[in-house]
Amino acid sequence: MNLGQLWEAIQASSLGIYIAESAWAFPTIESVHVIAIVTVVGTVAVMDLRLLGLTARDYPVTVMSRDTLTWTWLSFVLAAITGLLLFASKATNYMANPYFLAKMAMLILAGLNMAVFHLITWRTVREWDTAAIMPTGAKIAGALSLFFWVLVIFFGRTIGFTLGIYE
Amino acid sequence: MSFSDLLFAFTEWLRTTPLVETALSISEHPLSLLIASHFWAIPIIQTLHILALTAAFGSVLMINLRILGLTGNSRTFAQTVKRFRPWTWWALLVLVITGIGMIIGEPIRELINPIFWIKMGLIVVLILLSLWYQAALSRYTVEPGTALRFGAGARLGAVGLILLWCVIMFAGRWIAYAPV
Repeated sequence: MNLGQLWEAIQASSLGIYIAESAWAFPTIESVHVIAIVTVVGTVAVMDLRLLGLTARDYPVTVMSRDTLTWTWLSFVLAAITGLLLFASKATNYMANPYFLAKMAMLILAGLNMAVFHLITWRTVREWDTAAIMPTGAKIAGALSLFFWVLVIFFGRTIGFTLGIYE
Repeated sequence: MSFSDLLFAFTEWLRTTPLVETALSISEHPLSLLIASHFWAIPIIQTLHILALTAAFGSVLMINLRILGLTGNSRTFAQTVKRFRPWTWWALLVLVITGIGMIIGEPIRELINPIFWIKMGLIVVLILLSLWYQAALSRYTVEPGTALRFGAGARLGAVGLILLWCVIMFAGRWIAYAPV
C-alpha cells in the first residue's frame, strides 16, 4: 500500500465518511480544534515573550515554564486529536494542499525548536533563570517559536480557503 | 422546533430588517470592494483575529486558572493580574478591530447571520460579566504577597468566564456554517 492509497483508505473509512457527511461533525470538531490551537499558541506565547525578555521579567523562567507547559501539552493533545479527525474527512485533499503541508512543516519546526531549546539551552537555565537579559539561545528559541506558531495559524486558516482548489 | 429551525427562523427575520440595506450598502463601500477583490485579505484578517484571540484567551486562562489554583501558585494574584490583565483588554481591542474588518469585507455573511448575532450577544454578556467579576475580585487583592484562597463564588466565576470564552470561539467558527 503506498501513501496515496493510505490517505484514500482513511478518507473511505466509516469515521472519515461520517465526519465528511454529517452536518454538525466537521464544524463542531473544527471549533474545538480552534479553541485547542488558540490555547496552545496562547500559552506558548506567554513563555516565548518571557524568553525574549519582553514581559514578566520578574517571573523566573523555570516557574513560567512550569506554569504554562502543562496547559500547552494538554491543549496540544486536544488539537492533535481533533486535527486527525478533520484530516480523516478529506485526507487526500489535505495531502494535496500546499498550505496543509506547510502547516505540518511549521509544526515540525516548532517541535524541533522546542526540543533543541529544552535539550541544550535549558541545561544552563539556573544561571539565567531570573536574569534581566536572556541568553541569545533563549531569545532565538522564543522568537522562532512565535514565528512558527503564527505561521501554523496562518497556514491553518488558509487551508479553509483553498481545500477545493487542489486535487 | 429544532435548534436549526430556530436559526432558520432567526435568519428569515434578519432578512426583514434594515440590516439587509445596511449590509448591501457596506458591500458597495470602496473598502469592502478592496477586501473582496484581494484573495488574501480575508484569510489575513481572520489570522490576525485568531492571533489576538491567542493573546486574549491565553491571558484569560492564566488569570482564571490562577484563581482555580491550577497555575501560577508561586506568584501572588496581584502579580498574575499585573502581568496578564492588560493583555486581555488590548487583545480585545484588536479582536474588535479585526472583527469590524471581517464585517466590512463580508457584510452579508456576517450581518444576515443568526450565529453572528448570537456571538455578538454573548460578547456583550462576556464584557459585562468580566467587568463585574474584575471589580468583585479587587477586594481579594488588597494585601499583595499574602497567601490567599479564593472562595467558591470566585472559582465558579473563573470557570464560567473560561467556558463563556470557549462558547464564543465556538460560535465564531460556526458563523461560517450558519444555515442561511
